[in-house]
Amino acid sequence: MDRREFLQNSAGTLAGLAGAAALSPLLAAAPAAPDLAVARGAAPGRAVRAAVEALGGIRRFIARNDVVVVKPNIGWDRMPEYAATTNPEVVAALVKLCLEAGAAKVKVFDRPVNDPRRTYAQSGIEAAARAAGAEVGFVDERRFREVKIPRGVAIQAWPIYLDVLEADKLVNVPIAKHHGLGRLTLAHKNWMGIMGENRGRIHQRLDEALVDLSTVVRPCLTVLDAVRILTRNGPQGGDLADVKRLDTVVAGTDQVAVDAFGATLFGLTGADLGSVREAARRGLGVMDLGRLAIRRLEA
Amino acid sequence: MLIRFRRLSQGLFLLLFLALFLQTEQKGADHLGYPVKVFLDGDPLLALATLLSGHALAAGFVLALALVAVTALLGRVFCGWACPLGTLHNLAGTLRRWRGPQRVRGWFRAKYLLLVFLLGGSAVGLQLTGVFDPLSLLVRHLALGPYPAFNYAVNATMDAVYRADLRPLTALADPVYGLLRKTLLAFSQPRFSQGALLTALLLAILALNLSERRFWCRYLCPLGALLGLMGRWSLLKRETAEGCNACGACDRACQGGLRAAEENGWTGTECLYCMACDDACPKRAVHFGFTPGPRGQALDLGRRRVLLAGGAGVASAAMLRATPVLDPARADPDLLRPPGAREEPEFLARCVKCGECMKVCTTNGLQPTFLEAGLEGIWSPRLVPTRGYCEYHCTLCGQVCPTGAIRALDPVRKAQWRIGTAMFDRGRCLPHAHATPCIVCEEVCPTPTKAIWFEDVAVRDRNGKEVRVKQPHVDLELCIGCGICEAKCPVGDRPAVRVTSIGETRSRHNRLLLDDTAGYPG
Repeated sequence: MDRREFLQNSAGTLAGLAGAAALSPLLAAAPAAPDLAVARGAAPGRAVRAAVEALGGIRRFIARNDVVVVKPNIGWDRMPEYAATTNPEVVAALVKLCLEAGAAKVKVFDRPVNDPRRTYAQSGIEAAARAAGAEVGFVDERRFREVKIPRGVAIQAWPIYLDVLEADKLVNVPIAKHHGLGRLTLAHKNWMGIMGENRGRIHQRLDEALVDLSTVVRPCLTVLDAVRILTRNGPQGGDLADVKRLDTVVAGTDQVAVDAFGATLFGLTGADLGSVREAARRGLGVMDLGRLAIRRLEA
Repeated sequence: MLIRFRRLSQGLFLLLFLALFLQTEQKGADHLGYPVKVFLDGDPLLALATLLSGHALAAGFVLALALVAVTALLGRVFCGWACPLGTLHNLAGTLRRWRGPQRVRGWFRAKYLLLVFLLGGSAVGLQLTGVFDPLSLLVRHLALGPYPAFNYAVNATMDAVYRADLRPLTALADPVYGLLRKTLLAFSQPRFSQGALLTALLLAILALNLSERRFWCRYLCPLGALLGLMGRWSLLKRETAEGCNACGACDRACQGGLRAAEENGWTGTECLYCMACDDACPKRAVHFGFTPGPRGQALDLGRRRVLLAGGAGVASAAMLRATPVLDPARADPDLLRPPGAREEPEFLARCVKCGECMKVCTTNGLQPTFLEAGLEGIWSPRLVPTRGYCEYHCTLCGQVCPTGAIRALDPVRKAQWRIGTAMFDRGRCLPHAHATPCIVCEEVCPTPTKAIWFEDVAVRDRNGKEVRVKQPHVDLELCIGCGICEAKCPVGDRPAVRVTSIGETRSRHNRLLLDDTAGYPG
């Protein structure tokens, strides 16, 4: 077995483990934990804490000595108030929670569309995550490894960032935004940031490709940042008139459920989004909010 | 003794120059935080040329005046003690062992005539000064040639070590590479067209030192010539005391190539004040001191030669301008100038081709021209979107421009500045020609209301099956020609959307829309 093969295998195993980890609370039938926790509050950090607490606390997701990847959206050279990148306070709160749970290391990164130095700095995420104790680094183009996607419909293999493949746990921290093709960009679309090479090509079959990716990349926790949402001219924005302040975060283990709820923030439903429909159809999660236990809280 | 101070000073100035060179890079903030162009600011030749050809004061002209004052008092101390290119010449000169009396060709006048030629051109708006100015030259050639090559060498080595996966070595190389990336290396591999040519030219100039020490400084440097003229009446002079027996030790040591041991052999305009003669004198008879009175040989260039050189400068302007490339009625579609660039004739009159803008460009999209802007505009910057687009919020090129050829734009103005206009090549675009969805151009379009908009269209594929696609269009009023659509287009080789210079804000002539909001800045 050479190195590449080993990595691919371990990626598959990891993904499987992550998937099992995501399902385990359901299997264990923990009665108290809802499927989604929706926290509202003027302080984003507190809202994150309240939502994660409502899901059963960070220790349900992160174990001692875990290497954790917290993946925000740092795709654009925009300041936080423009709602094109994940709120830095939301990211920082998650980093702190993971470290409190005993994580050995928390890595924060993204492969941005705009210049990485500017996006990391202007989004405020680099400074906030680093202050919270995360290791914030730029993507090293050498560290992508071809990962097979056995259940892929649009893509059967793609280079994925090694830190994601090697991590014990993945935490997805997207921001809720308008998008020209997918209508919205939420949790599923955020994983584009770990894809290497000329990833723009996936827009030819965007919904299927995103769901393909989520068959192999399984976060243990997803926290959708809706502190500010971008309602038009997404995913990059640039006009404050297109930004709506909701002071909300949506946390859950099922990305499909998180995205389905996220759609309602824009007056849509999960069924209006191709990626959510496709993921639900393939049994990767639940998009019917009526079937989900949703706890709403003020933080 | 003094020679040690001089070497220390040279070393410190070279290090400062290189440190500022490395800082000439995007760091994520709107401003660099270092005065990266301070050497260019302090250059009286660039200031004078900008004044003559651009009819403008260079941003740092006060610093240049300070150097004029220092030179008036102390002579060409800048050449001997500070000039980073001069120091590199010194270093190159040490590659050869010098024995016996040095060969001196005595072509000292050439640099004055070159200076007169360049200023003659400047007087009619021809800006060739920066091609020969030592500071402009050094920044440009380092940035576009050796520095990218250095990056390539380190990156390639480290990549090879990484790929080979030799356990102890790879583990050791990683932190070393990390440190190098934080300090000496560029954020990503810079690549410039003509890089090898520019390296070769720099090496050729340095190789001249193997023929005569500081050949460039003695015979070619127009800044040295200007400082020599300014230091003509300087108070710091070389004196020989009683003990001199004309042994010639100072002649052999002289970096300026002077026959200092001879009667009246020392010439103030040619002396680099390197103090080598003071150091070499076995009788300790040579001193530099402040004394009024005459200072060695007068400089006689010959009136005819001066007139000829100046006239040639003026004539070159006519010669270089009568080219279709510079016909204002017909703009070059691919000559995309950086945001804030002045209208072409004025831009050419000011740009000294120092390469600062290309060094600092966030995406490496600014590339040196060859003949696209005429021979006159060689090595001036142009945006090549397939190499790198213009980052929407970045204004660094204007900030580092020493002459205002590129204006320093405020962020609001930058966001409205049109470099050119994007248009689709419908034969290559996936939704337009191939019934295939794609929205990358629209997604990356940075204007607050996107300049790229969709038309929802039902098209048929070859099987007659209906496919719904969003066909992109450009809003000509909103597009600023930043080129990110072209840079990120999945049709990577020849993108299906391309920016050309039409509609560029800077031009009065290259206009498109009747009612244009991004109009000519005046």
